[in-house]
Amino acid sequence: MYEEPYKWVEAVGNRRQYLDEQFKQGSPVVALSYDSGILLLTVSKGTPKLYEIYDRLALGGMGHPADLEKIRFSLLEMAHVEGFNRSPSDVTGGRMVKYGIAPVIKQAFEEIFKAPFIAKIVLAELGQKAGKDSLLVINYDGTFEEGAHCAVLAASKPVERDMVAYLKQQAPSPPSLEQACGIALRAWTLGDRAQRKAGETMSGPSPETTQEPAAMDTAALYAHLRDSVAEKTIECALLDRSQSGSSKYRAVTPGELGRLLPKDIGIAFP
Amino acid sequence: MGMQGDFYQVLKEQGYQLGASAVAGEGREFMTATTILAFKYRDGVLVAGDRRATAGNMVMYDRTDKVLEIDRHSVMAIAGVPATAYEMVRVLEHSFKYYRRTQLQELSFEGKLRAVSKLLKDNVPAALSGTGAVVPVFAGYDFEQEAAKIYFYDILGAEFEGVEYAVSGSGSPTIRGILHYLNTWGERPLSASTEEEAAIQALRLLTSAAEFDSATGGVNRESNLYPIIKLIAKDGVRVMPDDQLKRLFESKVVRHV
Repeated sequence: MYEEPYKWVEAVGNRRQYLDEQFKQGSPVVALSYDSGILLLTVSKGTPKLYEIYDRLALGGMGHPADLEKIRFSLLEMAHVEGFNRSPSDVTGGRMVKYGIAPVIKQAFEEIFKAPFIAKIVLAELGQKAGKDSLLVINYDGTFEEGAHCAVLAASKPVERDMVAYLKQQAPSPPSLEQACGIALRAWTLGDRAQRKAGETMSGPSPETTQEPAAMDTAALYAHLRDSVAEKTIECALLDRSQSGSSKYRAVTPGELGRLLPKDIGIAFP
Repeated sequence: MGMQGDFYQVLKEQGYQLGASAVAGEGREFMTATTILAFKYRDGVLVAGDRRATAGNMVMYDRTDKVLEIDRHSVMAIAGVPATAYEMVRVLEHSFKYYRRTQLQELSFEGKLRAVSKLLKDNVPAALSGTGAVVPVFAGYDFEQEAAKIYFYDILGAEFEGVEYAVSGSGSPTIRGILHYLNTWGERPLSASTEEEAAIQALRLLTSAAEFDSATGGVNRESNLYPIIKLIAKDGVRVMPDDQLKRLFESKVVRHV
């Protein structure tokens, strides 16, 4: 029945609706460049969502854990084989996305008799010098956007726009690690809150933004955060240019995160 | 599901082969023109190597690094055919990283030792043909045992723990005896040495090896050329800087030569 072009377009449209529905409960992901690297932050429950891919590449994901694992393994294999056969310098985020994973995700999305990837990812690439970082966001349909300074994953485009606007408004250029941690966590909270509100009042076409005031009161954000992170984990990872050795990725421990985050946040870290 | 996290297997599935098979040579001598050594000191393990690469009687290069970091907590010192040895190090480096990144945990120290053995075993045809023999010393920090350890291998891949020290290469017979003497009848065992004392011994040992083995490069002060010395402890691998080696050599080694 999908041989007819119209039916195929309709099926793809249905699939888009189905996928949008799947991300409503997801936890946003924030990627933000700071003075000596890139910070990735999310709040996760159970399975981690931030991963090391290669010496200067890190992955943040949103969606079904099994699909994220498939994408993660594909990226890992691609990066390591390429790094071994050529050189680690040839393993770039752009090549991994444009010629590697994005076509695979697009194909899965359009093959309507097979399951699509329920996943959105951000691939962060640490540049050799400050200001040369790259952040690539890939949607569930294989479309990708390349940017610098900041990138986010969230349930819908309006929420993502609000989060990016908040990051751009709040972050000095470039922020310190402490500043970046606080700003990223507040941006995550803004996104999570907007997603929940959108879930409660979902009807009609998607607006351009969620109408959330971009400069939301910090105290209100922290109050929402304290409610949201109960029984969850604030997950934070860095691509740290100052780290010795070839691998620049490191997960931030809860203790270190406690020291980096603003004191008025009101969350105890072990 | 295959062996998860095995990068070497991934490479082999793509047609990669380490150590091309060749007809075994007859009566060939396995050339390991070099001197590498490792011994335990108070804070961990010291691994050192001379800098000379030779082809027969020809000195090809005098700035070779034969003590190669595989990851933050392990090094492989290489004696034998450099092309094969460097290739093995590249495979190991990618394998350990791939395991850590896919499995979200470090490969165990035993797993690392097995990985070296597997490569040596697969390299046997090239080693026997005389074109690819490698006799490495592997040292690293074992987090399960909370101790830095030393292992040495034969060309077939058998691993042996060097409880106090291990040596390899053409200059090694000279210093093996010295190490035994120092460790048995010295003022105290090598494992009780401070970092500086250990570095002085390593410089003296490599200078002795260079004295009797033409394939081992000694210190060349005119070119500011010193051996490579790396230190492995719980907090990772550290390279001893040349200016420190220069100071120790001039104050504690040169007057005895």
